[in-house]
Amino acid sequence: MIHVFNYKDTYYIYDTGSGSLHECDKDTADYLKSEYEGGEAPALSEEKKAEILNDIKELKDKGLLFKEEVKTYPLKSSEVKALCLHICHDCNLRCRYCFADEGAYHSEREFMSLETAKKAIDFLIDNSGDRKVLEADFFGGEPLMCLDTIKKVVAYARERGDKAGKKFLFTTTTNALLLDDDAIDFFNREMENVVLSLDGRKEVHDAIRKTKNGKGSFDYVINNIKKFVRSRGDKSYYVRGTFTSKNLDFSDDVIFLAENGFDSISMEPVVTDIDDLAIKDEHLPAICAEYENLCDKYLEKYDKGEGFNFFHFNIDLEGGVCLQKKVSACGAGNEYFSVVPNGDIYPCHQFAGEKDFLMGNVYEGRLNPAIREKFASNCLFTREECGDCFAKFICSGGCSANNYHFTGDMNTPYKATCAMMKKRIECGMHVLAQKKSRKS
Amino acid sequence: MIKTISSPREKKVTGCGECRSTCQSACKTSCTVGNQSCERITREENPEKTNK
Repeated sequence: MIHVFNYKDTYYIYDTGSGSLHECDKDTADYLKSEYEGGEAPALSEEKKAEILNDIKELKDKGLLFKEEVKTYPLKSSEVKALCLHICHDCNLRCRYCFADEGAYHSEREFMSLETAKKAIDFLIDNSGDRKVLEADFFGGEPLMCLDTIKKVVAYARERGDKAGKKFLFTTTTNALLLDDDAIDFFNREMENVVLSLDGRKEVHDAIRKTKNGKGSFDYVINNIKKFVRSRGDKSYYVRGTFTSKNLDFSDDVIFLAENGFDSISMEPVVTDIDDLAIKDEHLPAICAEYENLCDKYLEKYDKGEGFNFFHFNIDLEGGVCLQKKVSACGAGNEYFSVVPNGDIYPCHQFAGEKDFLMGNVYEGRLNPAIREKFASNCLFTREECGDCFAKFICSGGCSANNYHFTGDMNTPYKATCAMMKKRIECGMHVLAQKKSRKS
Repeated sequence: MIKTISSPREKKVTGCGECRSTCQSACKTSCTVGNQSCERITREENPEKTNK
């Protein structure tokens, strides 16, 4: 199928079967829309129509337009390749929008013991089959409340990994409140990626991300994050913000972050049912317009030589993952799991603490086969509503957890998420095209 | 006028399963497989990269 869309006065055709992106003029876009999407037919001269038909034929012959979609099978693997280690179910902030109940995950505040963390590493190695590269993510709560444990877990994983022929890639997600020199040195030595939570402008950040005493945390974290980023060199990091219905002008927050020296940024829509913060259908037009605002500002910065990396505008249409991966979604519950402080295993961090999704415990070393099979079978083709969506091979049918929490079914996409995803993808494609045209 | 902006390079190997876990990325809530890279291609293009 094709998706014809415009970014202001620039028109694009995305061909889902071949994964190709083309730019076209308005007449061509209007013609294709009228022929294939039921739009109003444009008044075209015979000469123009012949030109359009000729262009279409040439691309069809090259397999770059109207290419039939291949219904490949998803990756099937019994190997475990990644764990999210909930090293700590406690937090030193009390952010209202926190999906994890301000760090406690609707249970008691607790830390993972070193013994349990080591068991989790053993579980990962022992179940990783021939897989050579394994990933572990230190998550919370706030992981830096347990830095000593993290250091010991990393040392243990490296030692066991060396003996087993496995290489570990570690990530930590932190609010940066305790990000001191010691933590910075350790992260720069050991973490493949570090995700630092910062929502943007001080007033936006402080409205939500408060300390236990109810004070805004911006002033406490901004210098820590700046210091860390300056020391990071060419290693990966993301400054990650969350926007809510309170800051639908979030492009200003992204630009604020870029202008504070952060060149690797993500900004995610909040996942919450808190009424005054939640993203609702009525906000979607403003959010989609704001993604365009962000896209314009992003390209303006790029043109000035002040470009930065915005996670959602990185659409890799040339060297991206293969079709099998594209239809397989994220792998949660099959090759990626979360381990909570007592060693219980869940499909991912967003299911942590939900009894229906308890898959086992690292001390038992087994996974509930029925739940695993359910997640392993989840793929683009089990999400029927995705069948006629242009974005399907890029988003893979969305997040199982978000789908489940908002619609009650992992295979029923949540419409608001879809709308934002589709807009981000269109903006990402526009960014791709504009960067290429500037280079040439 | 139709101008091709981008099309996928042919992949020698597909379905190897060596790709990174999507959720270890920057988002943790709105993962997009489409902005991931193929690990094999990344390794071929950057032999010095650590994740070999």
